[in-house]
Amino acid sequence: MEALLQTLQGIGWMQSWPEWMLLATAALTVATGILAIVAVAVMAFSLAERKVAGFMQSRYGPMYVGGWHGILQPIADGIKFLLKEDIAPVNADQALWRAAPVVVFTGAFLSFVVLPFGPSFVGAKLDVGLFYTFATSSLVVIGIIMAGWGSANKWSLYGAMRGASQVISYEIPLAISVLPVVIATGTLNLGVITEAQAGWIWRWHVFHPLLLASFLVYLVAALAEVNRIPFDLPESESELVAGYHTEYTGMKFAFFMLGEYADMFAVSAIAVTVFLGGYHSGVPVVDKVVPAPLIFLTKSVLMVFVMMWLRWTLPRLRVDQLMNVCWRVLLPIILGILLLYGLLKTIH
Amino acid sequence: MKLAKDIYKTLASIVKGMAITIRYLFRKPVTQQFPDERWSLPERFRGFVHNDVPRCTACLLCAKACPVDCIYIELEGKGKDRKMSRYAIDYNKCIWCSLCTEPCPTNCITMSHDYDHSVYMRQRLVYEYVDEPVVPYKPPKKSKADEGDTPEAKEA
Amino acid sequence: MSIDPRETIAAREDDRARPLRSQLLHINMGPQHPATHGVLRLFVTTDGEVVSRVVPYIGYLHRCAEKIAEGNTYHQYVLYTDRMDYLAAMNQNWTYCLAVESLMRAAGMEVEIPEYAEYVRVIIGELNRIASHLISFGTYGLDIGAFTPFLHAIREREAILNVFEKVCGARLMYTYYDVGGVKWDIPPAAMDEIKLFVELFPKKLDEYNTLLTNNEIFIGRTANVGVISPEDAVGYGCSGPVLRGSGVDWDLRRDEPYSIYDRFDWKPAVGTGEMGTVGDCWDRYKVRMDEMAESTRIVQQCLDQMPATGEVMAEMPKILKIPPSEIFFRAEAPKGELAFYIVSDGGNIPFRCKTRSPSLHNLGVIEKVGRGLMISDLVATVGSLDLVLGEIDR
Repeated sequence: MEALLQTLQGIGWMQSWPEWMLLATAALTVATGILAIVAVAVMAFSLAERKVAGFMQSRYGPMYVGGWHGILQPIADGIKFLLKEDIAPVNADQALWRAAPVVVFTGAFLSFVVLPFGPSFVGAKLDVGLFYTFATSSLVVIGIIMAGWGSANKWSLYGAMRGASQVISYEIPLAISVLPVVIATGTLNLGVITEAQAGWIWRWHVFHPLLLASFLVYLVAALAEVNRIPFDLPESESELVAGYHTEYTGMKFAFFMLGEYADMFAVSAIAVTVFLGGYHSGVPVVDKVVPAPLIFLTKSVLMVFVMMWLRWTLPRLRVDQLMNVCWRVLLPIILGILLLYGLLKTIH
Repeated sequence: MKLAKDIYKTLASIVKGMAITIRYLFRKPVTQQFPDERWSLPERFRGFVHNDVPRCTACLLCAKACPVDCIYIELEGKGKDRKMSRYAIDYNKCIWCSLCTEPCPTNCITMSHDYDHSVYMRQRLVYEYVDEPVVPYKPPKKSKADEGDTPEAKEA
Repeated sequence: MSIDPRETIAAREDDRARPLRSQLLHINMGPQHPATHGVLRLFVTTDGEVVSRVVPYIGYLHRCAEKIAEGNTYHQYVLYTDRMDYLAAMNQNWTYCLAVESLMRAAGMEVEIPEYAEYVRVIIGELNRIASHLISFGTYGLDIGAFTPFLHAIREREAILNVFEKVCGARLMYTYYDVGGVKWDIPPAAMDEIKLFVELFPKKLDEYNTLLTNNEIFIGRTANVGVISPEDAVGYGCSGPVLRGSGVDWDLRRDEPYSIYDRFDWKPAVGTGEMGTVGDCWDRYKVRMDEMAESTRIVQQCLDQMPATGEVMAEMPKILKIPPSEIFFRAEAPKGELAFYIVSDGGNIPFRCKTRSPSLHNLGVIEKVGRGLMISDLVATVGSLDLVLGEIDR
């Protein structure tokens, strides 16, 4: 955003504006830009999920809308969501119930502002960028609880309670699993972490053995954070009808779906930034030719594909097994890795 | 180290499962794009019932055989003037069991290969096969030379 | 639907008995629910996630099949048996025809099924057993959360349904068997498809085992869950894979052989508690997978042994009148022990035709086993019982 601010100050007819107005314009432009990227990406993911699911299951997925393999299906879905009847349960707590989808989407969307799409393509160069992303993605759990409680529906309550316990528990291994990388680079600034992986592909953080283990832990915890199989109990379709978003229709339901895909995208993007080299392609020649945001997006999309692949292969865990995995498997492992890596770094 | 073995077994089984799904990702799907491509129906497919009215003897055996009584036959006149004024099959009730095709003496009632009949009103699914009263078919007297014409011989 | 008053009083007593000020939650896994395999209502009383009582309510799919039997001839009733367990319709037809044939023998009429017809009956019956178990395998994966095995199972089932379509013209409601044999012969094209299927299916079973059976997450969800002890299984009248999964070695095809089952070399699959306790959900699931392999072997042996051609239908009178008599005949359907109790009064319409459906008695055991499970386990257990509501409600 700094670069954008300087560009705006260079424009002649904007130079008479007060400082705060320039700042506001820059901020609004950045926010709109990120929203556009996220919205388009999320729409593409919704179609990609259905196509990937289809081909893995020996069928085609959407084929009809848009002529070629259902390319306009997300737009048709969007129009459908907008035109649906907006039903609110009478017993629902109206304020909570209506605000929940917005909170979920906001929590997922806020973490995009510190992600480095390119060397100067960052919303805000925060020195505590990594900490900020985890803090804002915790807003999602508040939205889930609001949705579950406000729906006045016992099944939603079940989903919300499971969701809350799951997301809060898995935030701990998630946060600790990026700490070895913080030790390696000595900073929480996502831009500096990406720059530390510049050059050839073996400089990426994921190729260090201990950091590979922490990457795997991050992957498992991230799946639990975004409520994907094998951890999708809060919205388990075959048990709880639709979990915490049973009572939502139309655009509110679309917001939940968008929030889930946006969260997936955010978590994958963080994984790419922290472990997989960010916007560096691993081959310096390619870095000069291909624009950095494209590399970043490609890698994030690949990570999202891995999450989808896991969804269509695995069954889901039961709620006590899920808690077991978090507290008795992931946490000791990641603390052990942290200890070992810290010792390694002090010795060297 | 039971924990380490458990983790290894879990990861191994997950990776093997993922290998299967990724293989299917690159194979050609087995589904057909209906309505552009259609399934080639086998010979014995039980579609909508077809009645070849000129050969119908109005013996009412098909109506009696039907378990849900969906064949409506109305006869009028007596003796030489006997006419069949209505032959209708009510597809709201029909269950496509083909029990009506079995007792027919002249094999005029068969199961066709049609299956694509959607209507907007339920009454449209009652198909009338006779527009005006027709004289029922009188099969010629069976002689030795006609033995090959019977339904049993046809099925063999 | 309002709650039964007896329910509320008992529930209030449960509430009063608790020392803490927490309440039990009464929820309806209602008639419309993705995991109850049809219109089954389970009234569940839970304490948090742990179930303390399960009461099944049935009758949402009741279609008065047994009353209709008193208005249709023996020949016409075959298609009503189709619609009871719609996933294994051929086996229902077969059991009913065997029951009527036993009734005829009990009443003193001579009925001799041609040998070729017997082989055709066994081939088609075992193929339908494979199809039914494929559906149970697929939907069980759906209940546990794995979406892909369901579609792979459907793809294999399509191969079997294509065979059935070539043989009798329909894909789900066949009305293929008839009293005295089968209605039509198997055309050569269908015979080739059966041979191809028997060749290719064991490899698919290996794939299913890798994808679901040996998946650690699946084992974690189903092993040691919903354990039915052998005494409970026998006491509640369970049969089929539910009974064999609990370790009781009882299969009607071997212990009370009907048709020509005594000519084949096969053995019933019995649960051994390989991954957990004997009688848990994994055992029942494994019994069904093993039964699919055994059925494939039986079909292969049939194809080798059967005569090249022959009669498909015995000589039957045009109008079947059976002297007054009664019979109780049971056979092994994919879901368990299916039985017909037919009473004839001398006319061409049965006086009473009662069906003993396996799923109804298998469902009864959920009341005992459901206590102390978590909701996810309850879903897994109900899925492992392999219920079909058409059969329960008739």
